Amino acid sequence: MSTVHPRIVSVGTANPPRYYKQADLPDLFMIKDKRLRSLFTSGHIDGRHLYLPDPDAHGIPTESQGQLLHKHLRGSMEIGPQAIRQALEHAELHVTDVDYLVVTTTTGFLAPGLSAHLMNEMGFRSNCGRADVVGMGCNAGLNGLNPATHWAMANPGKNALLVCIEVCSAAYVFDNTIETGIVNSLFGDGAAAAVIRAEPADAGKLAPVVLDFESHVILPALQAMRFDWDDSAGKFSFFLARDIPYVIGEHAETPVDRLLSRHQIKRRHIAHWLVHSGGKKVIDALKYNLGLTTWDVRHTVSVLHDFGNLSSASFLFSYQRLLNEARIRRGDYGVMITMGPGTTIETALLHW
Amino acid sequence: MRPLEAISFQEHGNVATITLNRPAHGNRINIRMIQELAAVCDHLEDRSKAKVVVFRGSGGIFSQGVDFGEFQPHQPIDIHGFNKWEKIAVRLERLPKVTVALIDGAATGGGFHLMLVADQRIATSRSFFQLPEVHMGFLPGMATFRLAKYVGLGTAKRLMLCNTRLSAPQALGLGLLDMVSDDLDAALQSTIESFGPIHTTAVQLCRRLLNESFAIEFEEAIGNFLAAQHRAVNKSAFLDTLARQHEK
Repeated sequence: MSTVHPRIVSVGTANPPRYYKQADLPDLFMIKDKRLRSLFTSGHIDGRHLYLPDPDAHGIPTESQGQLLHKHLRGSMEIGPQAIRQALEHAELHVTDVDYLVVTTTTGFLAPGLSAHLMNEMGFRSNCGRADVVGMGCNAGLNGLNPATHWAMANPGKNALLVCIEVCSAAYVFDNTIETGIVNSLFGDGAAAAVIRAEPADAGKLAPVVLDFESHVILPALQAMRFDWDDSAGKFSFFLARDIPYVIGEHAETPVDRLLSRHQIKRRHIAHWLVHSGGKKVIDALKYNLGLTTWDVRHTVSVLHDFGNLSSASFLFSYQRLLNEARIRRGDYGVMITMGPGTTIETALLHW
Repeated sequence: MRPLEAISFQEHGNVATITLNRPAHGNRINIRMIQELAAVCDHLEDRSKAKVVVFRGSGGIFSQGVDFGEFQPHQPIDIHGFNKWEKIAVRLERLPKVTVALIDGAATGGGFHLMLVADQRIATSRSFFQLPEVHMGFLPGMATFRLAKYVGLGTAKRLMLCNTRLSAPQALGLGLLDMVSDDLDAALQSTIESFGPIHTTAVQLCRRLLNESFAIEFEEAIGNFLAAQHRAVNKSAFLDTLARQHEK
């Protein structure tokens, strides 16, 4: 039967319990520099869920690289399982029903990877297949959805689970530079999970078929976004080049138009745009380069406003908000776009 | 595209012309006209090499607005019908071309609204302009959003609430028209020449930023501008301009 299609059956999300208002963070971090403080008050982000130590007399204490890595694992094992349980519940599945597990993270390196820790923590079957997508950054959600979708297509009726877990507060470095200030004021903690399964029909549940993927790597911008070792800080530190949001915007048409032209459709046929909540500038750049309206990016903007940039998990938060609107109609097309280091633009085409 | 009835469409060189073609019905906008406009938009967006699109009416009328013949007095009125018209209006407003409305005769109701989505408006001296909707108990569409940007809030209120009939010279004085001329084709030629080389990307971005002005905060607008400007300066039109400047 050629009518069996891989579908996103359900989605779940989770965040750490503590929510910090963006306006309160400069004082909690004891930031004095006016320019650094202003990064927190631009208004595009209202607040973020974060794993931060309790403040003492000198504000929030600085964490060592060891403490940050430990926090990544501990936080991941809290929000990851919550997002997974929500996605499985919506799909009416038990954790032992999962046959293939793909986990993305960039905010902490560890072996065995998060997938093994999740299996141990949650009771997955010991013969559940696994892949850890580590170090691919904000675009990684679609780099994970791609193998999960193809695995599901090759194994009809079996359940693939994509999990994106990012404890971005485990990637913070405080050195009073604008570069780290941008990171510390932008990224939040969150996890998202999605069940992907190939089945002939969605039984009225409006589970979209994942039709296709298209990638684009802007190789000259290899160094424009990177998470690498800062010897002076003795930590991994994330760097974002100033103009990279606009460079991403400039290139966005390339993968989107390649993706759509393979299916003989135009941008005007896309009812739903699910764009990674990278930051204000990159969202603006995609709007003006792809001709998207403020309405098209409403979930992207609201997820950024409510959570900050959740790296690889962001786009599934937008997807969940789209589902909750109950506005989708059968026959609608959707495009997912995630952007990150490489510099990478990943896209996927959905059809309801 | 099925044969056109409610409109006609021609392309000559750089210029495509959409003519509303229901003169016996005041060139009123009906569902058929909306469907045909959508088909023409598909063509203009996907295939057409034209750089200028002209909107005009046939039979000495631009358009007298919505065709009420399709509303049944005893049936519930479908609000989505209004939305279909608004969708085609915004699509015409965003065409990847420069657009000119050539008006001869009545431009009232939806016809008045249609000329507001064009980039330039030229009318004959006998033309007149009127928004009668509020006096009929309904609303003049998203002209409620667009009109005040052209004429200011006070005048917009007067035109909509008082059903004021404007002559072409009055409309010119208010900034609603760019030119009054009884030789529309000659006026169109001079307008097309004034558009210069027509860099489509720059036109679309500039028009979008202008259409978004008034409605958003400066802090939002500056981000939009920088994103748009980055796109514009990386297109060949601007890179060619730069190269020519350096040769001088």
